[in-house]
Amino acid sequence: MMSLPFFGFTLAFAGILAGQRRLAVALLALSLIATLVLFKVHATDALPISL
Amino acid sequence: MTPALSRTLNILGLIGICVVLMVAFVDQLAFGELPCPLCLLQRAGFVGVAAALALNVRFGPRPSHYGLMILSAAVGFAVAVRQMLLHIAPGDAGFGAPFLGLHFYSWAAILFGVVIVGAAALLLFDRQFSFDPGLPTWSGLALVALGLGFAMALGNGVSTVLECAGGLCPDNPTSYLLLQEGGLKNFFAP
Repeated sequence: MMSLPFFGFTLAFAGILAGQRRLAVALLALSLIATLVLFKVHATDALPISL
Repeated sequence: MTPALSRTLNILGLIGICVVLMVAFVDQLAFGELPCPLCLLQRAGFVGVAAALALNVRFGPRPSHYGLMILSAAVGFAVAVRQMLLHIAPGDAGFGAPFLGLHFYSWAAILFGVVIVGAAALLLFDRQFSFDPGLPTWSGLALVALGLGFAMALGNGVSTVLECAGGLCPDNPTSYLLLQEGGLKNFFAP
């Protein structure tokens, strides 16, 4: 699960190397969204500060 | 700024981000400090920045590529600041050993900030976005930078699979889950 963004970025790099710009941009954007979703899953602990 | 100069700067930026990711790998492999989940997400932010730089290197500079670069850095910055706040209370030793006086997540926050400011500054130079038919698609340095970026993305993916198997990573990882008893060792056992 945690590796999904990295493999998405890897495919984006493959798209870049293959000259497929639109595919690479879409994969990059999807991988960023996956990173954000994983961040939401992991940001569960309360911060040790009071604001 | 000409398209060629912009591309050169993007190549150097891509190599710089790859060096950052390689330092993290050296710390992981040579010193045995396994990355925590938030550390992995910061690495993902750096790989995203690298991919956006690679778009500029391969297809020429475009505002949308810089936009993706800033968004990737913003995601990484948010994760790094979150981790800094987790360890901000007095007496908290922080996660992992410091590097040059700061923890990796503090360095990451600084570097993501530099990427955001750098990308925004480069967006100010409109001439780089003019079409240049003489701009070569490939150069030796560009190919090296793109290959490095690809290797860093794939290497982090493989490393994360070994560390976390198919699920979410433990908060404080001490070993590679897939290499423990019951993991790949059983799979390959006679």
